[in-house]
Amino acid sequence: MTEDDINSLDPDVQWIVAEARRPVTMDVAGRERLMEAVRAEAQPGRGALEWMFSRRTFEIPPFAAAALAAGLVGIGVVSGLLFHRDGQQADRPRAEVAEIPQLPGSIAPRAVKFVLIAPQAARVSVVGDFNGWDVSADPMTTQGADGTWTIFVPMQPGLHTYSFVVDGTHFMPDPAAPMAPDDGYGHKSSVVLVGGSSL
Amino acid sequence: MSMARRLMAVLVFGVCAVSVARAQDRSTVAQQIDPLGRLNEGARYQIELLLDSARVAGLPTAPLESKALEGISKRVEGRRIVVAVRMVFRSLRDARSVLGTAATADELNAAASSLRVGVTRAELAHLAQTRREKSVTIPLVVLSDLITRGVPRDTASQTILQLWQRGAADDDFLGLWRGVERDIVSGTDPGVALLNRAREVPPRGPPSPPESGSRPEGTENRNP
Amino acid sequence: MSSDAADVQRVLNGDVDAFSRLVDRYYERCARFAVRMLGNRDDAEDALQATFLRAYRSLGKYQERDKFSAWLYRILVNQCRSLAARRNQRDRVFVREEALLLNAPDRSPSWTGEDEEFVQRVLAELDPLLREAFLLKYVEEMSYEEMSTLTGVGVSALKMRVKRACDRLRARWERIKDD
Repeated sequence: MTEDDINSLDPDVQWIVAEARRPVTMDVAGRERLMEAVRAEAQPGRGALEWMFSRRTFEIPPFAAAALAAGLVGIGVVSGLLFHRDGQQADRPRAEVAEIPQLPGSIAPRAVKFVLIAPQAARVSVVGDFNGWDVSADPMTTQGADGTWTIFVPMQPGLHTYSFVVDGTHFMPDPAAPMAPDDGYGHKSSVVLVGGSSL
Repeated sequence: MSMARRLMAVLVFGVCAVSVARAQDRSTVAQQIDPLGRLNEGARYQIELLLDSARVAGLPTAPLESKALEGISKRVEGRRIVVAVRMVFRSLRDARSVLGTAATADELNAAASSLRVGVTRAELAHLAQTRREKSVTIPLVVLSDLITRGVPRDTASQTILQLWQRGAADDDFLGLWRGVERDIVSGTDPGVALLNRAREVPPRGPPSPPESGSRPEGTENRNP
Repeated sequence: MSSDAADVQRVLNGDVDAFSRLVDRYYERCARFAVRMLGNRDDAEDALQATFLRAYRSLGKYQERDKFSAWLYRILVNQCRSLAARRNQRDRVFVREEALLLNAPDRSPSWTGEDEEFVQRVLAELDPLLREAFLLKYVEEMSYEEMSTLTGVGVSALKMRVKRACDRLRARWERIKDD
C-alpha cells in the first residue's frame, strides 16, 4: 500500500473521492451535437500541421513559372537603406510592386525581397510573424564584399511585423521600413504591408 | 527593369523560393509542432488563456501568438512575455471597440499598434469615422512610425488626421513617411520634418477646416 | 496496435464513424472530469465539445506510442482551464443544479442528488490547480508520472498540490459538518 493509495486518505476525503468517481449523466443531445460538428469538419490530414505558418508553403504553378521566366512580371521588393560606415545615406533601390497575375489575387503569397547592408556581419536573417520569429528559418545570403545581405520571402498579403537579426542575437529594425512601436522586449521592429502600395 | 535584370531577378527568385521552402521544412517543424513549448508552464498557461479570451472575443489571435513567439526567440523571461502578450490583447480589444466589428485584421493590428504608442482612443475614433469607405491601415502605420521616431504625439495625430480629412491617399502617406524619415536621418527635428513634408501633400478632397497654429520656423532640410 | 490507435488510423483514412467509436469510449469519463472540474454540466459540455473537436482536428499529430487517453486528457485539461478562466470560475458561486435534483435517476439508496451537489460544492471551493491535481490523481487514478506528462508540472509540485487539496477538503468537511 503506497502513500498514494486512497485508503491512506482521511475517511472524509475518501468519501468525497468515492462520490466524485461516480459517473455523471450528460444530455444525450450533447454528444449528437458533437458528432454533427465533427462531420461538418474537414477531414483531418495525416501529419497535418495546424500551426498557422504551415499555410505559408509557397509553390509556383507551371504557368506562373513560365511567365516569370519570360520576364513578364515583377517581383515584390522591400529595399534596405544603404548606410555607408559613417552613417550617410546613399542611393537606395526603387521599390517595386509585387504581382503574380495568374495566381488567385487575394490569397496568393507574394515574394518580398529584404535587403540589409551590413558589411561587418557574419550572418544575417530576417524574422517576423511570417516565420514564427525563428532566427534559423530565413537566413539571408551575401554575394560580394560590399556586405549586401538579401533574401526573398513568400508572404501572405497583409500587414507584417519583422526584424533583422545580425550574428544570431542582435535584433534591429529595417532602416528602410516604417517602424512598429517598441515590441515590449526593448527593441523596435519594422512593418511591411504586402500586396498593397509598396513601401 | 531591363530584361537582363528581370531574368537575374527571376533566377534569384526561383532559387530563393526553393531554399526558403526547404528552410521552412527543416527549421520550423519542431516549432510548428509545439510553438509555445519553450515557455515555462506558468507563462504558457497565461498565454493560452489570453489566446482563448481573444478567440471568444472574436479578436485575431495571430498577433498574440506572434508576440509570444517573438519573446521566445528573443529569449525573454516568461513573465515579460505574458505582459507583452497581454498588452497586445488589450490594445486589440480597445482598437476593436473603436473601429467596430467590420474592421479588418490589418486595420485592427495597425490601430492596436497606434494605441500602444500613445495615440488616444479619441484620436483613433476621429480617424476611423472620417472616410469610412477607405482603409485606415496605412495612415495608422505611418502615424505609429512617426511617433516612434520622435514626432510629438499630438503633432503627428493632428497632421495625419488633417491629411486624411483632405483625402490623402496611401501613396501620399507613404511619400510623406519617406520624406520625413530622410529628413530625420539628416538631422531635422522630427516634428518640424513632419510639418514641412505635410505641406507638400496636395489636397485631394474638399477644403479642410482652417489649420490651427502658425507655420513653424526652421530651414527645410531636404536631400536632393 | 491498440484499438484506439486503429480507430485513429481509420479516421485519418476517411472513416468518420471510427471517431464516433473513440468518442463513445471516452466521453463519459471525460464528462465526469469536466463536470467535477467545472462544477456544472453546461460548461462541461462546452469543454467536451471543444476537446473532442480539437482532438479530431489534431488526429494527424497523435503518435501511436502515446496512450490515446493521455493525449486526449491533455487536450481536455487545457480546455477546462481555458473555459474556467473565461467564465471566472474561481469567483463563481456554485450554482445549484435544479434539474439534477429533480430528475435524478434511481440509484443505490445511499446516493442522492444532494450528495453530488455537496461534492461539487466542496470541489468548487478548491483552487482550480489543486482541484485539477486532486481529480487527476484520485478520480482519474493517474500516476504522478502520467499527470506530470499531461500538465507539464513536476511530480513533486503535483504531490504538493494533491496534498494541499486533501488538507483543504478535510478542513472544509469539518466546517460543513458543524453547519
